[in-house]
Amino acid sequence: MSKKNQRARALAYGGGTFLLLLFLWEILVRMTDSQIPFPTPFAVIERFVDMLFHNVGYYYTIVGHVLWSLSRVLAGFCMAAVLGIVLGLTMGWFPYVRAIFMPIFNLLRPIAPLAWIPLAILWFGIGEKYKYFLIFIAAFVPFTLNSYAGATHVDKQLVGAAKMLGANNAQVFFEIVVPAAVPSIFSGAQVALSNSWMTMLAAEMVCATEGIGWIIIAGQAVNDMTQMIAGMLAIGIVGFLLANGMRLLERRCLVWNNQGN
Amino acid sequence: MTKQKKLFAFRMKIISICALFGFFLFWYLVTDVWKLAPETLLPSPLKALETGITKWSVKKPDGSTLPQHIFASLRVSLLGFCFGAVIGVPLGIMMAWWEKADMCLKPVFDFVRTIPPIAWIPIMIILLGIGVVAKASIVFLSAFIPCVVNSYTGIKSTKKVHIWVGQTFGASKTRLLFKVAIPSALPYIFTGLKVSLNSSWGSLVAAEMLGSDSGLGYMIQLGRLLCRADLIIVGMVVIGIMGTILSAILDFMEMKLVKGAV
Amino acid sequence: MEQSGKLKMKCQNLSKTFRTPNGSFEVLKDLTFDVRENEFLVIFGPGQCGKTTLLYMLAGLEGCTAGTVEHNGQLVEEPHHSRAVVYQTMALFPWMTVKRNVGFSQKVRKVDKQKREQDTQKFIDLVGLTGFENSYPVQLSGGMKQRVGIARAYCGDPDVLLMDEPFGHLDAQTRYMMQESLENIWENEKRTVVFVTNNIEEALYLADRIILLTDCPGQICKEYTIDMPRPRSLVDPEFLRLRKEITQQMNANESNSLSAGNRAEMEQK
Repeated sequence: MSKKNQRARALAYGGGTFLLLLFLWEILVRMTDSQIPFPTPFAVIERFVDMLFHNVGYYYTIVGHVLWSLSRVLAGFCMAAVLGIVLGLTMGWFPYVRAIFMPIFNLLRPIAPLAWIPLAILWFGIGEKYKYFLIFIAAFVPFTLNSYAGATHVDKQLVGAAKMLGANNAQVFFEIVVPAAVPSIFSGAQVALSNSWMTMLAAEMVCATEGIGWIIIAGQAVNDMTQMIAGMLAIGIVGFLLANGMRLLERRCLVWNNQGN
Repeated sequence: MTKQKKLFAFRMKIISICALFGFFLFWYLVTDVWKLAPETLLPSPLKALETGITKWSVKKPDGSTLPQHIFASLRVSLLGFCFGAVIGVPLGIMMAWWEKADMCLKPVFDFVRTIPPIAWIPIMIILLGIGVVAKASIVFLSAFIPCVVNSYTGIKSTKKVHIWVGQTFGASKTRLLFKVAIPSALPYIFTGLKVSLNSSWGSLVAAEMLGSDSGLGYMIQLGRLLCRADLIIVGMVVIGIMGTILSAILDFMEMKLVKGAV
Repeated sequence: MEQSGKLKMKCQNLSKTFRTPNGSFEVLKDLTFDVRENEFLVIFGPGQCGKTTLLYMLAGLEGCTAGTVEHNGQLVEEPHHSRAVVYQTMALFPWMTVKRNVGFSQKVRKVDKQKREQDTQKFIDLVGLTGFENSYPVQLSGGMKQRVGIARAYCGDPDVLLMDEPFGHLDAQTRYMMQESLENIWENEKRTVVFVTNNIEEALYLADRIILLTDCPGQICKEYTIDMPRPRSLVDPEFLRLRKEITQQMNANESNSLSAGNRAEMEQK
């Protein structure tokens, strides 16, 4: 009962603050007379609904744009997942692999993914490949780092137990090291996902003809604030869904890890 | 046993050095010897090094020398980062400590943080132009969010037992906050600061690429327009080095401060 | 000893020294003893006298500084599935169900699948976990986890079972129950067992033979052959007499080596 009360109270406070802020926004927009046509919250929502049914630009509704963006994120993210996990796990477990790849990885790692944009455009042109490459870079680093950490922090006793039960080196790697690193890999995937979502935006803003980042930059080109803010709303919603989807997947896959304690 | 281990470590070090050397050698072979890539796409490492050295004093082609760019970027990022930390950390602590603030602000904050700071760039450019203020506010946003999140988690994960001990000794709520909760949250807060610094440095580069007339991001963007890959690579390397230096400074501060607190 | 069983394991002049930053630290010194077939040997000693290290050396998980361990006449150099360890911390694989944990050894040794399934079920039933085949370790209580640990060790079809204070982390009540179960299991499936403990009742309840170690460095102090009939009663006069005798012996050692023990403890910290 009291828990229910608590929830209701939290909802009231949170909702109240939200409404208050929206109200302030509305008032501020009405009171000030700036040269820039700053929209009211109501106008933003109206435009957002409108975008759901009518094309933004020539070809796609906002759903189409989001799907374009998602396809890019998915492609880069998956490539990064495969390569990053393989590299991270092998670096974590096999000293020779670590000795060879760790210095090169450390050399390239501090460069912010967004700083790759110009070089990526020069290399791959302004098509899809350039975006895949950037998103790959953005997701690759957290995947590798977390798989590496997972593999190096495997419980030594479990490794001993597996050997004692007759597992050879390859079996220890696949049966013990890999599953033991999965929780760490998942937290890397969470970071990788939000990184690649952000990098996708930047990549599309720099050059693209469709996608959610394009909506914003196209809005900027014609000084259409309403379109920009509606686009940001869409970004927020999709980003939220992605992060939570990932969390759900994690909970599904790691039944053994999240009960008890 | 230990001798064997030392020998193994030594051998690993040799392999590492060889791998690094091989990386640069391969780069050199591809560009200068086999000429597989045109210079506009991938300059040789020697050419990049040369550009890096001359860029130190030459203004062409982008109007500023390398130190000027570095200084411009550093100024904006530190400005935004400091504002983000100064506002974000206390806000996170407040949200975690006072239940009402938590209930009021958490939903709003959770909503705002789903939007990556980069998405704010165009709006900021329209509202504030392409000057220092617009870029600093982007950096502010990207530094602010991790600061709030981490200080919030830090305070929330204060051990109940520690609070109880404080309470049984009759400490007031404010005293508990400053003497118990904040010191125990310091490691989290520092993690937040580090994440902030990283992401603010990253989004600064984006902000400079999308609208600016100075800074490292501007330099590499111009390098692309002029097909000067050597300039881009110099810019990337400097961005990497600066990022590393900034995090190293924070690491050092954490070592000094957190040790003192525990 | 007039043990009837044949020789299983043989330890000769075993010593172990750890190197720490502030000097070396001798945990075990000059241990020589035999393990005979199908006997229940308990290694009993106070606090941190290196019992676990000794067991790991028998298993081949840890090397010895001096001396040799032989198993069936062969030198022990690395872990082998014929010497199964039951860990104090259970060390179950958390991502595997009970069934897969128990069947792990046979799986990695590529035992025929049908036999694996049969054996797995047999040992799960033997330790009394029927119905929990598909649970994950986090879903089990401490006692049940250790049952999985025992079943896992048994299912590898080991020649020797090495148990490292397997009930050390359990509460007293569960501990008694587990001791009874273990005795039952052992009576059903006779194996050579080396069991390490610091609990005198546990030692007397389970052992055919007890080796008493001194503290720091661990040396063999005395050996007791226990031939009370099983199952034993904790209040049997003979039981109580032995308990008193061993405790006194241990206390005498302790006062002798108190200063040494303190020093070692300091060094560990």
